[in-house]
Amino acid sequence: MHQESEIRKPLIVGNKSYKDITDDIIRPVQGKANKYWWIVFTLAAVTFTWGLVCLCYTIGTGIGVWGSNNGVDWAWDITNFVWWIGIGHAGTLISAVLLLFRQKWRMAINRSAEAMTIFAVMCAAIFVTMHTGRPWLDYWLFPLPNQFGSLWINFNSPLVWDVFAVSTYFSVSLVFWYTGLIPDFATIRDRMTKPLARKIYSLLSFGWSGRAKDWTRFEEVALVLAGLSTPLVFSVHSIVSTDFATAVLPGWHATIFPPYFVAGAVFSGFAMVQTLILIMRKVFSLESYIQVKHVEYMNIVIIITGTLVGVAYLTELFMSWYSGVEWEQYAFINRATGPYWWAYALMMTCNVVSPQLFWFKKIRTSLVFTFILSIVVNIGMWFERFVIIVPTLCRTYLPSTWNMYHPTFVDIGIFVGTIGMFFTFFLLFARFFPVIAQSELKSILKLSGSEYKNKPGHE
Amino acid sequence: MNQTFTFTDKAKRLCYLLMGIGFIGLIWGYVRDSNVPADMAGHYNHNRFWANMLVNSFFFMGISLAGTFFLALQYAAEAGWATTVKRVMEAVTCYLPVGLGLMVLMLVLGEFKAHNLYEWMNSDLFTKGTLDKPNPLFDEKVAHNHSYFKLPFFFARTLGYVLVWGAFQRLFRRRSLEVDLNGDANHIVHFKNVKSAAIFLVFFGFTSSTMSWDWLMSLDVRWASTMFGWYTFSGMWISSLITITLLTVWLKKNGYLEEVQESTIHDLGKWMFAVSFLWSYLYFMQFMLIWYTNVPEEVSYFYDRIHEFGYRWTVWPAFFVNFAFPMIMLMSRDAKRNYGFLVIVGCCIFLFHWLDVFNMVMPATVHAHWRLGITEVTLFLGFLGLFLYVVLNNLAKAPLMVKNHPFLEESKHLHI
Amino acid sequence: MNKITLHGIYDDDQQLKEGAIKIVGMGIHVKEVFSPFPVHGIDPIIGVKRTRLAICAFIYGLTGMSLATWMMWYMMVTDWPTEIGGKPNFSYLLNVPAFIPITFESTVLCAAHGMAITFFLRSWLMPGVKAKNPDPRTTDNKFLMLLEINQGDQSKVEAALRETGASEIHVC
Repeated sequence: MHQESEIRKPLIVGNKSYKDITDDIIRPVQGKANKYWWIVFTLAAVTFTWGLVCLCYTIGTGIGVWGSNNGVDWAWDITNFVWWIGIGHAGTLISAVLLLFRQKWRMAINRSAEAMTIFAVMCAAIFVTMHTGRPWLDYWLFPLPNQFGSLWINFNSPLVWDVFAVSTYFSVSLVFWYTGLIPDFATIRDRMTKPLARKIYSLLSFGWSGRAKDWTRFEEVALVLAGLSTPLVFSVHSIVSTDFATAVLPGWHATIFPPYFVAGAVFSGFAMVQTLILIMRKVFSLESYIQVKHVEYMNIVIIITGTLVGVAYLTELFMSWYSGVEWEQYAFINRATGPYWWAYALMMTCNVVSPQLFWFKKIRTSLVFTFILSIVVNIGMWFERFVIIVPTLCRTYLPSTWNMYHPTFVDIGIFVGTIGMFFTFFLLFARFFPVIAQSELKSILKLSGSEYKNKPGHE
Repeated sequence: MNQTFTFTDKAKRLCYLLMGIGFIGLIWGYVRDSNVPADMAGHYNHNRFWANMLVNSFFFMGISLAGTFFLALQYAAEAGWATTVKRVMEAVTCYLPVGLGLMVLMLVLGEFKAHNLYEWMNSDLFTKGTLDKPNPLFDEKVAHNHSYFKLPFFFARTLGYVLVWGAFQRLFRRRSLEVDLNGDANHIVHFKNVKSAAIFLVFFGFTSSTMSWDWLMSLDVRWASTMFGWYTFSGMWISSLITITLLTVWLKKNGYLEEVQESTIHDLGKWMFAVSFLWSYLYFMQFMLIWYTNVPEEVSYFYDRIHEFGYRWTVWPAFFVNFAFPMIMLMSRDAKRNYGFLVIVGCCIFLFHWLDVFNMVMPATVHAHWRLGITEVTLFLGFLGLFLYVVLNNLAKAPLMVKNHPFLEESKHLHI
Repeated sequence: MNKITLHGIYDDDQQLKEGAIKIVGMGIHVKEVFSPFPVHGIDPIIGVKRTRLAICAFIYGLTGMSLATWMMWYMMVTDWPTEIGGKPNFSYLLNVPAFIPITFESTVLCAAHGMAITFFLRSWLMPGVKAKNPDPRTTDNKFLMLLEINQGDQSKVEAALRETGASEIHVC
């Protein structure tokens, strides 16, 4: 686009030049980490370590150390898996879908959102590999003959679809992210003075030199990868949802599950991006690039997806009554009024009610409120998965299998550990990688920079 | 530059001709459809004819309804690319009052027993009878749902959708014409539109689902699928996008809309591609989950269609054409900028999305007694004529290019 | 005649484009342009053709799709048909809805990775490759035009570069 309407707010404020963008963004990479970084990093690393200890304990003893039991055989593990995978959806959504929609505001946040995706999927992977019980046999998930005999794995199983979906998603997101990083690594490489750092960034930058031809290819790759990633994002969480929806279990088998899981994933992912971005913009003083407007746009996405999730909840509730199937009706009554009613209430409040606060402009442009609500939303989304899994499994067809689920310290430890791991990786990323796609920002500076926009007759 | 569309006599004659064919089809279809099939005795009241009326009423209403949604989406998303084709979108939405009127007429006629498309309107099914004289037709499932379909509640809902959707459509149109004449100082009207659009979208988000349950899913009153609402919505959306694209291309071919950039056409092509994919995704997921779990209550929907009533050759083609055709033909950038491609793909999937509505309505209402015959073709053509007449008439009423829109310049200089 | 290499450095992408138009108009080939971000519209001026990477991706995607189809057909239908969930795997077609998800994932996997690898190979990007940009500032805020010209044209070209706003000119 060669022209931008005057009513669009500038995306880059302050009198920034190309040089300023470079300097602002690689400052954290060149400089030393401040005290806060070290404090948070230590905290995250300690939690991560505790998670590792719990993991080792699980592997050494067996998953009997978890709270999962005979009736409730999926519990925290799958809840956490789906939660993390869901969070992992926003990164690719921001980069891919918003790229296709030519939303320029995404440029300030896509890099960190993609990084978040990668780390979140890594956290999710821990749970799926661990919940098999004997993780050293996880290669059985691949299309190999079982125990190297003659029977193959079951391609009719959504759990096998999951293996393909999650690994494809992880590797494609990684490629997407890394390809975008290459020019920015080159920028850092050419600024670095210390020989070792120069050497490392030189390796990381793959010898990028920014020739016209390379840029053309680079943009084509970004576009096609975006085009591929968009249906990929949809497919991955749809497939995750089929883990439940293909089961003949009331409360799990609903045709709306795939699109509703996708909406929920985007919802929680954007909330997590908000949490991280708001911290990052403060710590690294990126206020010129990540403005209130960006936060507001993300909040609008949160309202939309939150409402979609709300529509889906109500649809499910209504259909369980309308279908006239007693089991379905009981499943929902049990969720809302059964032993885990509090989880259901939390989910409804956090997911459906709390995002509606963003209808007020005051709230959606307030950074403090946004920060709080983004955490509230993620709590809600965790409980959504918990509500789908645990209350359903603790009240299935056979009353003799009804029992309650109580997490053990190992369950909690591993979950908290993955949060620690997530933040450890993210902090390392923020410290050593360019957190904003500067080459992309530079390309919109003249179109959306405040200095340029105010000049008359700019093109 | 030709800024006003003239609804030529030639085009008018074509519309009249189509409507004439439809009118003849109306009489022919009703008269011919008087033999009551043995297996549907008692509740076959010219059902094939009426079911066709329903298919067409819904299909064309859906186009303008989703058009209103798409227009509102442009406001709410601050989208600039489509400002130059805004008048085309508006013209498509202008059929909404007519379409909704016809839909309501169909429902009222059903309530007055003119047809028996909706089984739940038949009180025999939900009155239990007495202990010594039980009602043999009593159906527990229908009786269970009855409170949802009670007359006042049902029509209150219907009236609610119709009035609110219609009001928003009129509102957007009126404001758009006003801005043309009076200008829009400080873009006050534009920001008002953004607000109204947000309200409309929320309302539509809920009611598009409930509407599809009330008007379509209730045809199979013993069956329910949670995804049905979103699936129906995606079908309406893609039909609407096809209509907007085809109209734009047609106008451009006839020397109008010079300021519409090739990039805008390209974007419309992308939308067609993307929403086709969305529709296919929802269709497949609904089908796959029902097929996979094989729960008798649910699988009856597809089982009836594919095996029992012999719709195999309308169900599968409707899916494959609507999925594969745009997928393959519109994948490349050049294809999306090629008018020939867009027209061929557009016309083709337009017909097959009509067939999709056909597949939703017919098996539920006439079971195996269906045909794609003269009644179907003439009534479709008649409705098409009416739709085109209303749309083109409204297109001629206002200049083809909006004025004083904050994103007009962006759209005029769109280059991707 | 002796060939010399000339670096015209610009501060602004618009000026770079104007400069390129002028140089190309003089019948001189612009050998390369280095820029910190994609300069839209430069390609047709300096004669860079449209990339065919998307076509590659399409072919890789088809390959991935065929591979997945073949794999599942072989493993689930031919080699050891099993009855799962009341759905006997007698033929591929009868069970195809269950095979769609993996087919789709495999298509995307192959298309995305194939395309990325092709891109890295064609542009020769990999760890250990030495960067070719002659001036480190081209990854920051400078736009560099690399020309190979006859010595006789030097003054003419330099004048054209300066006229269009080049901030520095280096002869190497």
